[in-house]
Amino acid sequence: MVWLFRFAPYLIFATTVAVTMLTPLVAAPLPFDAVGDLLTVVYLMLLGTFFLALAGLDPGTAFGGMGASREMTVAAIAEPTIALAIFGLAVGAGSTNLGQIVAQTLSHPGAVINPGHLLGFAALFIVTLAETGRLPVDNPATHLELTMIHEAMALEYSGRYLALIEWAAGLKLLVFFSLLANLFLPWGVATTLTPGALAIAVIALIVKLAALGLAVALIETRIAKLRLFRVPELLGVSFVLALLSVTSSFLLR
Amino acid sequence: MNVNDMLFAQLATLGSSLVLLFGIALLWRRSLSAYVRAFRWQSLALALTFALIGYFSHNHELYIVAIILVVLKVIIIPGYLTRLYERVGGRREAQPYVNIVTSLIVAGLLVSLSYAITRPLVMVSKLPTRNGIPLAVGLILIGIFVIISRRKALSQIIGFLVLENGIALLAALGTYGIPLIVELGVFLDVLMGFLVMQILVYQIKDTFESIDVEHLSQLKH
Repeated sequence: MVWLFRFAPYLIFATTVAVTMLTPLVAAPLPFDAVGDLLTVVYLMLLGTFFLALAGLDPGTAFGGMGASREMTVAAIAEPTIALAIFGLAVGAGSTNLGQIVAQTLSHPGAVINPGHLLGFAALFIVTLAETGRLPVDNPATHLELTMIHEAMALEYSGRYLALIEWAAGLKLLVFFSLLANLFLPWGVATTLTPGALAIAVIALIVKLAALGLAVALIETRIAKLRLFRVPELLGVSFVLALLSVTSSFLLR
Repeated sequence: MNVNDMLFAQLATLGSSLVLLFGIALLWRRSLSAYVRAFRWQSLALALTFALIGYFSHNHELYIVAIILVVLKVIIIPGYLTRLYERVGGRREAQPYVNIVTSLIVAGLLVSLSYAITRPLVMVSKLPTRNGIPLAVGLILIGIFVIISRRKALSQIIGFLVLENGIALLAALGTYGIPLIVELGVFLDVLMGFLVMQILVYQIKDTFESIDVEHLSQLKH
């Protein structure tokens, strides 16, 4: 099925761009908020992952199949954890709408240090590392190694298809980092669409992303890649943290 | 509730969730040295929570308790534990009866269970610290779970110490600190219990050339 191989990069890129529209990057109550909530975000991302795995299987090479099977192993535990971690916040805010959650946290700043919030942050951080192919799970710098996950699926691509896939991977990292930054530490996000507020929001976002990037870089220099069979255990930790986050925000409301 | 109480409530819950977090981190780790490290961090978080409760409830005896906690559970006991596993040696893996993912999920269920069983207590309580109570009960249950699910005598000792941390946290959250003399008695008990267990570990090691408690079942033949 040649069409699938050619079609997948466009779909992967399109879903990632759609997710970017639904994420509160600089302004909180967005016009797109009515289109989709956190479930849409999670499953649009999963759709992209699913097609990337199919595209990895399609050429019939050994590496592609291996990468696809590993990606599915990781995604099967990571995706519910993302939903659950954000649900912990959604219960507190009373809405599954990402913009609403940010606006709610902005109006109740005390909520930032309650346990549901912190456990959710820890869970989402671990999942971010797994989903975006960062170090303890996958090494973004390896190419043609037996341990690769993301690279193995994209191995047969070149030219504009490869560019789209890599661009989508970069956007995915941006989306996850800004979810971490803006859902859990929403200060600086513009609540009105005036030029001044938007300028502050952009600067705040850049500062937050730089801080997160620095933290991830520090972590990556300190740790080695986990053995593949230890990865589900790490994701198990983050799943339990997300579960506790939901439990505590549900019962301590 | 005034602003000070609100802050106290938030910080106390934050401290208790940190203590619980290290309890869960312990379940994820494999090697005995990582167990000791997780226990050390947990005791430090516990001491900070004690100091915090002492500050907000103006009970200055709790500062003394926090200092003793740091000396005993952050410095002395982990130091002895490190020496113990270096001397006993053998395979350093903790070899649980229950695999890691299952034990994590069990831990999550135990904490959810403790939320359910302490719910009436939390609802009638007027204490600012009440939201930490389910976390402390959850930590006690996790301590018991570590004791029954781990094979090595050393990890069972750490399970016992985690259980003790949970009880101390529950006492501090529920009563703003029991009288100092009682607290000192408890510390002495923990230290004595620990020393006795340490001797027992050496005996097990001498008899079986291993600290796997499975071997103890051979004693009845």
